[in-house]
Amino acid sequence: MTDLSANEQELPANSSRPKLVVSGAGDHLALAGALEIATLADARNSLKSWSKRGPSRSLDVAELDQLDTPGALFLCALRALGVELTGVRAGHQSLLDLICGLDLKPLPKAESAPRWRHFVIQLGKGCHDARHDLVEIITFVGRTASGTISALIHPDCLRPAAISRHIAETGIQALPIIGVMAVMIAIVIGYQGVAQLHPYGGEDLTINLVAVSVLREMGVLITAILVAGRSGSAFTAEIGVMQTREEIDALKVMGIAPMQVLVVPRLIALVITLPLLALFADVMGLIGGGAISLLLLDVSPTQYLTRLPHVASGGDLFVGLFKAPIFAFFIAVIGCMHGLRVSGSAESVGRETTQAVVKSIFVVLALDALFSVLFERLGI
Amino acid sequence: MNVRAKAQPEPLVSARGIVNRFGQQVVHDRIDLDILPGEIIGIAGGSGAGKSMLLKTLTGLHRPDAGEVLLDGKSVLSLGAAEKAALIGVLFQQGALFSSLSVAQNITLPMREHTKLPAKEQEQLAMMKLALAGLPAATGNKFPSALSGGMVKRAAFARALALDPRILFLDEPTSDLDPISASGIDALIKQLNGSLGVTVVIVTHDLTTLFSICGRIAVLVDRKLTIGTVDQLMKSDHPWIHEFFHGPRALGAMQARKKNHGN
Repeated sequence: MTDLSANEQELPANSSRPKLVVSGAGDHLALAGALEIATLADARNSLKSWSKRGPSRSLDVAELDQLDTPGALFLCALRALGVELTGVRAGHQSLLDLICGLDLKPLPKAESAPRWRHFVIQLGKGCHDARHDLVEIITFVGRTASGTISALIHPDCLRPAAISRHIAETGIQALPIIGVMAVMIAIVIGYQGVAQLHPYGGEDLTINLVAVSVLREMGVLITAILVAGRSGSAFTAEIGVMQTREEIDALKVMGIAPMQVLVVPRLIALVITLPLLALFADVMGLIGGGAISLLLLDVSPTQYLTRLPHVASGGDLFVGLFKAPIFAFFIAVIGCMHGLRVSGSAESVGRETTQAVVKSIFVVLALDALFSVLFERLGI
Repeated sequence: MNVRAKAQPEPLVSARGIVNRFGQQVVHDRIDLDILPGEIIGIAGGSGAGKSMLLKTLTGLHRPDAGEVLLDGKSVLSLGAAEKAALIGVLFQQGALFSSLSVAQNITLPMREHTKLPAKEQEQLAMMKLALAGLPAATGNKFPSALSGGMVKRAAFARALALDPRILFLDEPTSDLDPISASGIDALIKQLNGSLGVTVVIVTHDLTTLFSICGRIAVLVDRKLTIGTVDQLMKSDHPWIHEFFHGPRALGAMQARKKNHGN
């Protein structure tokens, strides 16, 4: 601001806010009022060019009522440019001494790579993590299997109370939601079947479609995905919270293997409950199919029941239920593994839980695809 | 010096008849507390005596069942957001640094919210607060999860100072710290109080902190506050207060005080 010749300049500020008044002319200016974080921008604007005008200038701050640390920092910067501060109040002197005495350095620039390299780095990191994850899953699967087998060989090590609690939590409490989901899935398949098969006059085949798809795939798949979201995540969160509170370390110190008390009971419980839940889902799905047949095809429940054994065989039921314990094993293993991977902080519980759910649903679907191909080849 | 300057200044924080209850259990029974500008006051009391609850009431985070808190003459519950942010800063017990932001971003957050300074300048101010809190510049880029306990407290200190508040509330600033870091924090509080003139309210049961830097101590016992200087409280005949100031731990802390005050 070159035209500071005006003897006194009041800076724009409304009445309730603190004000800064710059007065004087030439090389000798005076500040009055408040030099605070709120008036800092004003001060900077009005003194910008003045502060760069060579030496032998002075700034009188005797009339300054309020001075805070940003204001003091501003004055220190002026002083460093060769401006002499005059009339500093005793109360402000110690603040100025403190702030000017600080060894200030700018925030170090975080290292940044160009965007295309960023992509390559991410890709590399992703591959590295994936490989690491795979090794870890395989190791953990092995350790869990050996832990479970040794627990089964020495039944004294089994913890029936823990197992029954987990059966109640993962199984019985999941019944209502799984039943509702199975009925709804059967209704969706039934509706689509009728709509697609009607032009060919084959809407009767909808019963085959619903029965076979529910028994072979949908029943167990819906159950597994729901259990992965519901119980797999709960396993990670429970064990993860124990990890953050050092409860796992406490177990180890007492000579109790976390594998035996935390992982094995959950695994056994889930391997027991998931097939039962899948069977329940099959039954509910068939009931849903019956409802659709009654509503859209005018097939009475008795007719529906007599037709069922002809359209779906025990083999279909077996194919579905055979997969359930395998899914259960992986859901439990992945859930527990991520729980034990939690590192201290609370946010890592959230991160590991998300990963556990994503990973177990992915594994369930990948295994299901594998089984579909396998059973097809085997002709089951 | 005229007579007015010598007269008792207006209290900066004034609590009147504070009552807090948990169900049937009364935690605070008509508590009065005046905190004068520029003083360091300690709030002490046994575990579970309601110290943190009192702090939450004073800062307006908790609405008391009865009574009111005035900050600079205005009810804390009616203060505007920007006004309150400029008036008080709080150091929470666990630091409460935002885990998704770097330390520098933690400090600039209140500035970004309540001032119109350009980002560059905010960063500069953040670096100054970091230096004030005694942290190296490189800490600015770190995330809270990468900091040690003492550094978390210092970074939280820097954030509490972000808008140059007139009152600093510190909840257990030295708990979970080793004695060297704890003494460092004590010295920092004393320095900030001396140079910035900030009023400090410390909730703690660290006897060394209470004895060495607090001008007055408010002891929360039997749902009431007993307020006085260390020497006054030492003479108290209330059994809990007597035990508190004469117990084996108090003796060591007393020696630190003598050393600090140069006899």
